[in-house]
Order: sequence, then C-alpha cells, then structure tokens
Amino acid sequence: MNFIESIKIALKALWINKMRSLLTMLGIIIGISSVITVVALGNGTKGAVNSEFDNYGASSIYIFNRYSEEIYQEDLITNRDYEVLGRIFEKQIEAKSAIINYSGVTNKINDVKKDINLDVNGVGNEYDKVINFELISGRFLSKQDIVSRKNVAVIEKELAIEKFGKEDVLGEKLSIKRNDEVKTFIIVGIYEPPKSLLPAMGERAKVVYIPTTTAGRVLNLSDQIYFMQFSLKKDVDAENVIMQMINVLERKHKNIDQNKFQGESAEGQLEIINKVMKILTSVVGAIAAISLIVGGIGIMNIMLVSVTERTREIGIRKAIGATRKDILIQFLIEAIVISGIGGVIGTAIGIILSKIVSHFIKIPATTGILVIIIATLFSTMVGIAAGMYPANKAAKLDPIDALRYE
Amino acid sequence: MIKLDKIWKVYDTGKIKVEALRGIDLEIKAGEFVSIVGASGSGKSTMMNILGCLDRPTNGKYKLNGNYIEGLDEDELARIRNKNVGFIFQTFNLVPRVTAFHNVELPLIYSRVKASERERRVTIALERVGLSDRMTHKPNELSGGQKQRVAIARALVNNPSIILADEPTGNLDSETTIEIMEIFKKLNASGATVIIVTHEMEIAAITNRQITFKDGKIISDKLNNCRNYEV
Repeated sequence: MNFIESIKIALKALWINKMRSLLTMLGIIIGISSVITVVALGNGTKGAVNSEFDNYGASSIYIFNRYSEEIYQEDLITNRDYEVLGRIFEKQIEAKSAIINYSGVTNKINDVKKDINLDVNGVGNEYDKVINFELISGRFLSKQDIVSRKNVAVIEKELAIEKFGKEDVLGEKLSIKRNDEVKTFIIVGIYEPPKSLLPAMGERAKVVYIPTTTAGRVLNLSDQIYFMQFSLKKDVDAENVIMQMINVLERKHKNIDQNKFQGESAEGQLEIINKVMKILTSVVGAIAAISLIVGGIGIMNIMLVSVTERTREIGIRKAIGATRKDILIQFLIEAIVISGIGGVIGTAIGIILSKIVSHFIKIPATTGILVIIIATLFSTMVGIAAGMYPANKAAKLDPIDALRYE
Repeated sequence: MIKLDKIWKVYDTGKIKVEALRGIDLEIKAGEFVSIVGASGSGKSTMMNILGCLDRPTNGKYKLNGNYIEGLDEDELARIRNKNVGFIFQTFNLVPRVTAFHNVELPLIYSRVKASERERRVTIALERVGLSDRMTHKPNELSGGQKQRVAIARALVNNPSIILADEPTGNLDSETTIEIMEIFKKLNASGATVIIVTHEMEIAAITNRQITFKDGKIISDKLNNCRNYEV
C-alpha cells in the first residue's frame, strides 16, 4: 500500500469519527497554537526591544552617580569630569554629551490653560551623533549655543504640532515653566524621534533639547551634570571602557572603591532584557510543550480505543492480505494525520491569536517560518510517538483471533 | 493444486492438548467445487484456516500452488492469502462504514495494484455478482445477500487460486441462499476452485465433491456426480 493511499484511508477512517477526531486533535491544537503565540510574541518583543536600542545607539554607555550610595558634594559628576574623560578616552569615543535633564510644562498656543508636559534635556552639541537622530528642519544645537548658554531649543515634531498646530515653527518662541519660573527659548530645529515599536505607557512627555549650560543655569547648578553619554567606536569593549572611566573618576574624586559612580552600557542592558525574555519564552514554551505531550497521550489513548474497536476490521484486512507493515502504517498514519492536521489548525490559530493578542496588548508579534516548521515537525513527531504503540499492537494481532473478536 | 500430507493441528493450552486435526491427507485439483462438512468441533474450521493460510499446521506438509507454506513467516502468509486465497465468511466480514467498492478494492490495494487498474477490476468483480448498482453503498445499507455478494466480489477480485467460503449462507434466508450458491456454481463453471465449509447437507449436495470431517479426521470423501449442474 503506498503512502498517498494510506493517507487517504486514514482520512476516511478519521472522517467516519469526525467528532472524536476533532476532540482528539484539540490537545495538539491547543498545544501548538499556544507555542506559536508565545514564541511569536516573545520574538516580536525581543525584536522591538533590539531595534529600540539600535535607535538609541547600541554602543552607547552612560556614566552617572550611583543613586543608592550617599553622595556628597565632592562626589558629584561635573563638567570638568566630562571634559577630562572625553580627552582621556578620545580614541575610543565616537561622540559624547553631558546631560542635565528636568521636567517642565508649556501651554498650547491657542488654549493657554492646556499644559503640555515636557522632558527638557540639556545636551551637548554632539548629542545628535550619540543617538539616532533625524532632524527634519532647522539645525541641531551648535558649540556656540553651548558656550554662550543660548536660550535655544530643538523640539520634536509632535510638540510643534500639539503646541502650535503646525510643523514649521522655526524661530517661534517656546516658553518652558518650571516651578513657576518661566524661560523662553527660540526654536532652532525640529526633529522626528525614531518610531518606537514598544507601546508608550500613558501620555508621553514631549522631548525638548536645550544646551547643557543653559539647563545648568535653569537648575542653578554650578558645574554639576546629571550624566554623561558616550557613543563608542566600533569594536570597543563597552564594559571595559566603563570600568576605566569609573577608575579615572574615583581617582579624581578621591573616593576609590566607594562605589559612588555607576556605568551602564546599552549593550549590557539589552543583554539582560534578552536574557529575561529568553527565560520567559522558554518557561511559557515549556508549559505549552507539556500541553503537547498531554495531547500526544490523548492521541495514544484514542488510537488504543480505535485498535480495540476495529480488531475485527484488522482481522479482515489481514485475512485478505494485509501484512503487519500495512496495518502498522495504517494506524501510524492515522495518528500522524490526527496530530498533523491538529498541528496545521494549531499553527493557523496560533498565528491569528498572536495577531489578536498583539493588537490588544500592543506588543508586536513575529511568526517566523522556522517556528511553523518546527511546530509542524514536532506535532508529527508527537503523532509518531503516540501512534507507535497502538499501531504495533494492531499489527501484532493474530488474524484468526481478530476475526473471532466480538 | 492443494496437497495436504499428514496435517496435524494441536492446540496446546498448557494443561490440555486439543488435537483439532489428526493426520489429514487431502488433494484438491484446480477447478474443483468442494464442500467440507462436519459437526461443530469436527475440525472443519481449523481445516479452513489452514487451507486459507490463516494458520499453520503443527505438523505435516501443505503445498498450495507448488509452494510449501510451513516455512513461511506471517507476512509471507499474508501475501499468499492476498494473491491465492479469497475468503468468504458467515458474518460477511466487510469493513464497516466504507463503500462496497472500497471493500472489494482492498485486496488490490494490498497487492499494490494501480488505481486505474483497481477501478476496472472492482467494477468487473461487482458486475459478476450482480451488484454494479450498489458500488457506493456502505455495508449497513445492504441486505444480507448483498453483503455476501460484496464479500464474494472481494474474494474473487484478485483472481485467487482458491475461493474459501466458511458457512457462506449461514446467516441468509433460503431464497438468498439459492442465489448465493448459484453465484458459486457460476464461478466454478468459469474455472474457479471453490471450497465451501458448511454443516448443511443441502448446501454440500450442491457441490461436486463432499468431504466429511469427524474428530479431526476425514471420514468420507465422495463425489456428488448425480447432482452436477442442476439445482
């Protein structure tokens, strides 16, 4: 009996017991669809996180005061530190920026009572090279702006639209209120932030960039900066640079081994997030795999019932010339067809389900062809494993006994 | 064609040994129309299982179509059954829930005949038993007589050397019995070797040769010449 013939016979046998076949498939359907959904959402999130980090420069490092330690005046990072580090590590650094940030509000131009929350970032003139930055009009902050503490600002497009109701707002005035103190800035550039694949939690504050020096004056800082960001040249070991930079700072501040400084690399964070995602995906994946095993046991159970029920049929088939192999293949293929069809339905449901879930929890879903192939192969293997014992039992039946079976 | 030489069949159930066949010598030539009769427990069903290669004798030699079957394994026996034996049972033994056509097709599927050739041969076989209009019916949609005709078509579709019928009319009324026996007669007239196992003397009388079993032995083997070719 050839293969296609066997599949046809198996399909016929399954069609006769439609409801039972469907219920038997259910275990596999649930197992495969949950595996597909979980993996799709896991991969999607991972992909989104990775591209998010790419936007902010995967080779970036940050140096800042360790929040958990008691920080004294003499431990605070200063502009001097920033300049010293910039000089020492000139060969490893591609671009750098000191950063001082604070939050403020501005109002809508035609609705004075409506506040817009702002995330004000005092940055250096190289900041546009530190992160993935797309200027759509005007210019970025210049060295001159920094040196002479100009009240100029580069704002994001969404803020321009929200505040002024238009995109072209170069030269317009932006007043930023902080603790009842209002400062006015001239808008010199408008940029578009990279599209985020991850959902924003609640109303996002709009981003404004102003010179570090100006921000320092607003906050009444003498020489302090909040943190420094460096983007490193290719093939520079970020963790190593962080360690050396902290060493320099500790020597300079005379607080060696007191843990007053901390450094983070985007790569390191990315690794941690990826690791967590991987663990989460494998844990949920393992749970889904257990449901597949349960599905397999369901198939084995129903195949055993089927073999007992069809003992006489097996006897007839043997009497008219079916060999052990013919019977074995017949029942094995029936099990594989159940699990295979279950796998296909499960894959389809999994893809649809991951899209639906992704729509509601705003996490991207990516179903790779590899996952589908693995899921299908796995469900087929479940079928083989579950069908082997019952099929072998059927094949070994004695034709005379089987024919007499009532 | 069939040659049995001192065939013994002993069922050993541990404590009790049952000797179902005790040294059977028998020869059946191609084209014969034979009945095997005997009371239940006489060994005739065991004989039928051995003749049909469903079972192997404990002792003795069985030669079917020039092949000795004692040394063959289970799958080789399956192939012999497929090619050389057509079975017909008292309880019809059709595969349930599939069509008459598919039932008749089965032996051809197991001997790997191509689909187009199968269709041709199944159609012919069902025509020979007068069921060409019931091909797509399932066993539960057929009467007893029709089921047995499907079984006969299935038995002859692979042109076997012998057609073995075990109480083929046991579950049929007298009218249908005559119809079925007519079919056997026609098959025999067209050259098939037909062996019918029965306990009904009326059925046995229709065949040309009547072999009687008792206690695992043949007690009579006679020709029914006078009843040839008439009912």
